[in-house]
Parts: sequence; structure tokens; C-alpha cells
Amino acid sequence: MLKELKDKYHKNNFQYILVDDLGVVLEQDHPILPTIIGEKIQDIHPFFEILTHLLTTVNESFEFSCINLDFNNQEPLVVDVTLKTHNNNNLVIIENLTKHYNNYQLTAQTRNESIINSQILVLKNEYLLEKETFKNNFIANFSHQLRNPITASTIFSDLLINSNLNDEQKNYLEIIQSANKDLKQRIEDILDISKIESGKLILVSKVFNLKELLKNIEVIYNYLASKKGLSFKLEIGEKVPTFIEGDQYRLKQILANLLTNALSYTSKGHLHIKVSHNHSRANKVNLHFEVEDTGCGIAEENLESIFDRFTKIETGEEQTGVGLGLAIVKYLISEMQGNIKVESKIDKGSTFIFNVSFKTSNYTQDQKEELLNNQLPELKQKYNILLVEDSEIIQLSILKILASTGLFFINIISDGEAVIPNLVDQKVDLILLSNTIQGYSASNISASIRSLSKEYKKTPIIVLSTQGYKDDIKRYKKNGINDVLVKPFDKHKLLESIKKHLK
Amino acid sequence: MTISKKIVLIGHFGVGKTSLIRRFVENTFTEDYKVTIGVHISKRTINISENEDISLIIWDLEGQDDIKKTRPSYLLGTNGFIYVFDLTRPVTFEHLNDELAFLKENFSTVPVKVVGNKVDLVNKIYLKEHSEQFDNVVDYFVSAKTGSRVEKLFAKLAQDLIQK
Repeated sequence: MLKELKDKYHKNNFQYILVDDLGVVLEQDHPILPTIIGEKIQDIHPFFEILTHLLTTVNESFEFSCINLDFNNQEPLVVDVTLKTHNNNNLVIIENLTKHYNNYQLTAQTRNESIINSQILVLKNEYLLEKETFKNNFIANFSHQLRNPITASTIFSDLLINSNLNDEQKNYLEIIQSANKDLKQRIEDILDISKIESGKLILVSKVFNLKELLKNIEVIYNYLASKKGLSFKLEIGEKVPTFIEGDQYRLKQILANLLTNALSYTSKGHLHIKVSHNHSRANKVNLHFEVEDTGCGIAEENLESIFDRFTKIETGEEQTGVGLGLAIVKYLISEMQGNIKVESKIDKGSTFIFNVSFKTSNYTQDQKEELLNNQLPELKQKYNILLVEDSEIIQLSILKILASTGLFFINIISDGEAVIPNLVDQKVDLILLSNTIQGYSASNISASIRSLSKEYKKTPIIVLSTQGYKDDIKRYKKNGINDVLVKPFDKHKLLESIKKHLK
Repeated sequence: MTISKKIVLIGHFGVGKTSLIRRFVENTFTEDYKVTIGVHISKRTINISENEDISLIIWDLEGQDDIKKTRPSYLLGTNGFIYVFDLTRPVTFEHLNDELAFLKENFSTVPVKVVGNKVDLVNKIYLKEHSEQFDNVVDYFVSAKTGSRVEKLFAKLAQDLIQK
């Protein structure tokens, strides 16, 4: 019975071929390969050419697995081949495993494709990271190169405005000052975007006077709006706290970006800024901000894309800016765990609405009063300042500012090597140190100063830096530097920092 | 007169061994990747000199990330090796020197041509950046897709085999 069933279902996957030492087929059984008795097996398929030199051996066995054999007019075969050599009676055994190997091929296909794809992904990722680093370094270097000339241009324009100028000259100078401010803002925006993309933009949380911040904004934008014939109104809700804890610089930046936009897209009507209290929970207060204009409005199809980088809405009118402002606003608000939306109607105007949470301040009354009266003391004596700076225009700019106050003796050097001898030779109350001294880093110079005797441990050092990344600032502070003024700075910022550290 | 020589193509999977052979034997190319399992054998006869032809029996081996994993019977009677790697995937050439050392140790008399495939996908700067890895090791930068230097590779190997 078994034999009967076996014969019925048996699949003969084998072919046995007898060949002589030259490969001529002598006998064969079940036909898997199209061999013909009397012909050379090497002529069937190039694979069998390997047999030519193996057939010269005697009593050897050779096994070849997974051999793909293609024949014209026949489905491709995948076989295992065994050769048993005997003198002129060599046995070639073919085992047809096409089905088995075809299944294996499918598995291998999936596995290899997935491995290759993951390798390609890793490479793409590396490439993108390299590109990103290159771009960020380029932006950082580029802005670094622009900071000295902008600083000089800003400072000299500020100095010039106080000299004897006729009205026409004053007008021209105001245009230059405004251009300087624009230029500075563009650089800050591009740097901010680069910081955001490289994850280096970090918010600094401090207690600040919110109402004072809003009033300062009101002064500036009231003036700018009135120059365009627009009205400006600031509304602060009753329950809005005076002191909150957060990044005041970035909040100011958000409002300034929104107001600058509103201003540039509005030619008649008004700008309104409203701040109200949403809710307070635990030690947090959630505030609601609205910046409303009566400008040209934004078409519905553009509402989603206005927060993308380099997006500017075409209005037919000339607007300034590179289209980074709203992208920065959106990022900053999301970093403050808030959200922003815009409502707009063409020719009616737009309203940008955002909610942000701040910590409520736990400052004592005394601390709050100190913040309210944060006036710098007037200096009562003359101080010696050592300026270490190799850019001649910056040397001249600072010299002019300090000389105009009549409060300082100034010694200027441009060589890093001369810093220590100058300190030892004369009394120095404060050091202004550039980060661009050739061959010396500000951190190294500062560390050398701090390693001198005890009296130099406390001499304030302010770095005038072309680099403003958080890592740079951290490195400066670590090396005993008291303050960092990132170029371009103006007269006010320089004097504020000097006075603060001479207090 | 025609003589026969066995050439074996080895290297990682997906580097384009099958594509190089198809370009050389059939003068065709497809972007589709089909994994080779085991071995495919094809043949092309080329003319070496006026009265001399050489029949190249080309063994296209399944790709391996380690040459030592290759089935030894596949390498029996090999007259020449072509070691193929993919210029765009560093993982396929990062152990190039070890792989070549293995061939030198086990097949000291068999000529080896080392080729970087897919040269159409990289630029000169990229090749320069990797010059430390490629200089003095790689014989040809080829492209199965464009056919660049494929004929030259096989012709030169055939010449070397005749002269042996």
C-alpha cells in the first residue's frame, strides 16, 4: 500500500547524469535539464564549464548549492549540483529546488531592501546635519563680520545727531539711523532663526515689570504710528499683574515683531494692543494678548503659511523685512507653552491673538520697589578704563562715547600681549575686551588676568563680542568675564553696562 | 582559438554586481533591485587579438557583508576576481582592505580588480574626500547605469588573464 501511495505522490526532484572525463553525456534518467546523450554537458549551460577541470580528478565529491540556471524557452531553475568523480564514469546529480529557493529569495529581498534603506536613511541624515551645521556656521560667521561696521555706524550716527546740524542734515542722519536699526534687526532675526533651528535659542526667565515693558512699547509705537498718521492704543486689563516671571526680552520681541508687521501693512486707521488676564492657576498666570490693525488684511489661503520662514504677503505695496519675524514669533510663543492665531479680513485688517503663561512673581515688596527704581547711580569720580580692541573704528566709537561723558580716563591697546603689562603699570578700574584680538581669545586673556595677584580678581571685565550664542556667553562667564556686550551695541547699552559694574 | 576563464564577482549586497554583468553581457540596465541568491552564471566571449578570443564565464555571487561567508565551492577554479563596492554606501567599503587581504591570502595568484560602482551618483569632491581609502586600492570607478568604464574593466582583466 505504502509503495502504491508513494508511487502516486512521489515527486522526483532528482536527475542523475553519467558523463565521461570530457563531460560527454553517457546516460541520464528523469529530465530536469535538457541534456542530450552524446553531447557535452558543458554546452548546456556555462555553469558546467567548471566541471572541465574537476572531471580530471578521481573519487572526489563536489557540491554546488543554489545554482541559478536560465535556459531559453524554459522557466529558470534553481538547483543543487553534486559531482561524484569515478574514472570515466562520473555522476552528476541535479536536485531541483527552484520552489524552495524562490521562497528564500523573497525573504532575502525584503531583508536586503530594508537594510539598504536604513543605511541610506542614516547617510541622508548625516548629510542633512552637515548641511545644517554648515549653514549655521556660515550665518554665525557672516553676522560676526557685520557686527563691527554696524556698531561703528550706529555709534557715530548717535554721536553726530547731538552735534550742530541743520534740519536737512538731521533728516539725512535720521534716515541713516533708521537704516542702522533695520540692518541690526535683520541680523538678529537671521541669527535667531539659525539658533532656533540648531536648538540653541533658550529662554531666560527673570522677574520683570510687565506694565513698564508695555508702556515702553507704547511710547515707541505711538510715535511710529503717529508718523504714519495712525492712532495707537494700549489697553491693559484690570487683573493683569505688574510683576511676572519670564523672558522679557523675548516677550518684547514678540510684540515688537507683530506691531512692526501691523505698522508696515497698515496705511490708515489704528493699531491696538490689548492685554488681559485669562486665568491664574497654582503659581501661574495666563495672559491674553491681541495685536490688531486696520491694514490690508490677509487672504484666507495665506493664513496658514504666514508663520512659515521667508513668507511675505504680496500686497502691491513695498514692505521691509525678510519674512522671518512671524516664524520667530510662532516659535517663541510655542517655547512659552502658548499658541497664536490670526483673524483677518481683506481690506479690513488683521488681529493676531496669543495666550502665554508666566510664573507669578514671589518677589518681596522691597525687591519689587528695587525693580521699579532700577536707575543706574551717577558716577561720582573719574574711572580708568582699559580698552583692548583691534578694530580702529570700534576704538574710535568707544573713545567718543566715553569722552562725551567726561567720566573716564581711557587707555587703548590693540595687542593682546600688552594687556598684562598695561594692567600692572597703572590703575585700571574696568576692562573692555574685544573678542577679535588677533591670536588671543577673550576667554584666555580674562583667565590670565584672573590668575594675576588678588587685586585683579575683581576688576570688572566686559567683553565686546561678535558672538552671541549661549555657549559663547557661558564660556565667557566661566573664564571670569563679568558681562558681555554683543555687537552691535549702542551708546546707552555700553554706558549702562559700565556703570552697572562700577557701582 | 578560444580559451575559457572563470571570473567571480564578489562584494556586499546591493552594490551592483548583477547590474555590472548585465551591462557587460547584455548591454542593459534597470534601476530595479533584485536580490541574487546563490549564483548566476553568464558568459561573453571577447576578442583579445586577431586570432585570439577569450570566453569569460562570469559568476555573479550572492552579496555578502563578509567575504569569508562565501560558499567555498563557488570559488573553485577561479581565474580572476572583481571586487565590487558601492561608492554611495560607505558600509560596503569600510572593510575593503580586510576583504582584499582574505583574497590575497587564499588566492594569492589570482588577479583581483577592485571597482567602485555607481560613480554616476557621486562627484569629484566626494572621491577626493575618500582618496585615502581609494588611492592605490581601487582599479576602476565604474557605472553599470551609464556603462562608464565597464568594458574597460572586463577587457583589462581579460588581458591580465591571458598574460598569466
